[in-house]
Amino acid sequence: MSADARTAILARIRAAQRTAYIPDMKDTPRTLEPQTASVEESLARFTKELELLGVASHVEATPDAVRARVKELIAGKRVLAWDAEHLPYDVGSLAKDAILGRDDRDTQAGAEIGLSGVHGAIAETGSLVVRSGKGTSRTVTLLPPELVAVVGREQLCFSMGELFQKQEKAMAGAACTIAITGPSRTADIELQLTLGVHGPGKVTVVVGP
Amino acid sequence: MSAAPDAPLPPFAERARAAVKNEKLHIALGRATDALGSRRSTALGSLPNSDLVRDVARKAKMDMLHDLAGHLERFEERLKANGVHVHWAENSAQLNQIVVDIGRKNGVKRIVKGKSMASEETHLNVALEGAGMTVVETDLGEYIVQLAKDRPSHIILPIIHMTREEIGKVMHEQIHVPYSDDTQTLAGYARVRLREEFLRADMGITGTNFGVVENGTLCIVTNEGNGRMSSTMPRVHVMIMGMERIVPTMHDLDLALKLLARSATGQKLTVYTTMFRGPRRPDDEDGPQELHVVLLDNGRANLLGGENAEILGCIRCGACLNACPVYKSIGGHAYGDTYPGPIGSILTPELRGKGEWKDLPGASSLCGACRDVCPVRLDIPRMLLVLRNEGNKEKPAQLELRLGMKVFRTIASRPGLYKTAAALGRFGLRLLSKNGWVKWAPGLAGGWTQVRDLKAPAKKTFQQLFRERKAKA
Repeated sequence: MSADARTAILARIRAAQRTAYIPDMKDTPRTLEPQTASVEESLARFTKELELLGVASHVEATPDAVRARVKELIAGKRVLAWDAEHLPYDVGSLAKDAILGRDDRDTQAGAEIGLSGVHGAIAETGSLVVRSGKGTSRTVTLLPPELVAVVGREQLCFSMGELFQKQEKAMAGAACTIAITGPSRTADIELQLTLGVHGPGKVTVVVGP
Repeated sequence: MSAAPDAPLPPFAERARAAVKNEKLHIALGRATDALGSRRSTALGSLPNSDLVRDVARKAKMDMLHDLAGHLERFEERLKANGVHVHWAENSAQLNQIVVDIGRKNGVKRIVKGKSMASEETHLNVALEGAGMTVVETDLGEYIVQLAKDRPSHIILPIIHMTREEIGKVMHEQIHVPYSDDTQTLAGYARVRLREEFLRADMGITGTNFGVVENGTLCIVTNEGNGRMSSTMPRVHVMIMGMERIVPTMHDLDLALKLLARSATGQKLTVYTTMFRGPRRPDDEDGPQELHVVLLDNGRANLLGGENAEILGCIRCGACLNACPVYKSIGGHAYGDTYPGPIGSILTPELRGKGEWKDLPGASSLCGACRDVCPVRLDIPRMLLVLRNEGNKEKPAQLELRLGMKVFRTIASRPGLYKTAAALGRFGLRLLSKNGWVKWAPGLAGGWTQVRDLKAPAKKTFQQLFRERKAKA
């Protein structure tokens, strides 16, 4: 049936294309160059956007400072983490007994805080970009009520367009790429902002050197 | 259980009249649409070159429509290369059957569902429940709609028509939680309930915001994270997609995403922008083993062949609803089908039948606010006029109307006669008016007052005032 439906639909579309009235836009350019910026500018914009989103950010100068900050943020909490080898600045060493993405579902769902790195970040929108893969479970940034994400300064792009250009190959290699922009939210009830409906309601970003 | 599809509806004028009288609805709609409207303006203001971005995004969509068939063939090829199962559905029945079959083949009992307007078109939930599967809507608004056995009334905010007290009552009655009218508490109830569903579901169904032709990327955006849950936790993920929801390149996806969130809610980007390149890879920790896409025609190909083809460029942001004075007065339900507001007044007749839905294109003052806010600059007033025109061609104008127009032509082309007639008309209307409004008029003029009031003419005409003030000066 599917093959028949496909043939019928495509034939109908081809017939329709002959009579379709579609506005002509000859004078409009077809593409726009994505915006880029220096690392300093990008970092300044990134932290400003995070603040607008209600995300606390800590910019640290040394790997030691990053680890100290992360240690403080996850202290006393049951952690669901990316595999240590995927976490930057050796922050994995702070959560040696963390729950991992390959553990049982219900165990993962019981975690109190997620600890992840990122595969990229977008300054213009304050977004964290993560890809699915071995050791970088999708659940880490999704299931716990809180998330700590560690970002390397050099991972910043200014715009999403720039990130798409730079990371096409890596994105093609992953089943799933996600841009996370702030805490999970809804305004479905009387337009009142409510955080943490399904994903983390609290997000903290630690930026390393 | 889902609301039964296609229950007979009273005529549009009656639906609209009932909605206009609903004061609670007015307050809820007024607050929400005004807030969304101003957030949209601020957000677009923060986008450098926003006018140019909109032009280029529009061009991307229009270029794609010129060869929709070719783009779809390339898209399918890329999807298959990514390991995605591709299905084509000509109509609702086919789409529902395809999804039921996928469920049966995989022994599916429990389904979690993200927001999908296309599945609302086909009443997919009814079909799945009929096949013995449980379906839970997971977008907070859609979940409450499902509990209340109601229908969504806005593309982005499905329960824009409900107060939190009503929502508290529905949750108390349907899922037996203590009554509350606190937003945070209500959302908390949903989180706990739906978390259980996510962890146990066999299959996830979501809509699709964009498909990218050049590499087969499938993109969904959600603020709550329910889209991520539905696509991460179950072993099978089915994406429903109106077949026009594609863009040629990642460059175009970037522009569309920039515009969508800003136009819909005033965010710079939706919280979760998820892009799939296939099912889970062998060494992935999680994700669905199977990823299916169902491409839905359901009248779209026929629509493409006509004068309103550009409506297929719509990115479903809902900005035209929030800007529309008619939507603000009557809300989404009065439009009677899946898509409300200006966009619905075009899509519903085009997709569901111009005869049955011929009143909807009339539900507009043609003020153009929808066109002004549309991120891809769809010329909605033009398309409404096309539909009105087609509707009028079907039934020849009444004899009295044709005669009336002839009389009007004679009078209007003779200034002396026109002045006298206008003075008479003014006099007559002032006689009929009460508190500044004419609610009933005889003969042809009755056509106007049947569905709306007419403001009584001013005491003095513009020309009189002009002469007087000129004399003074």
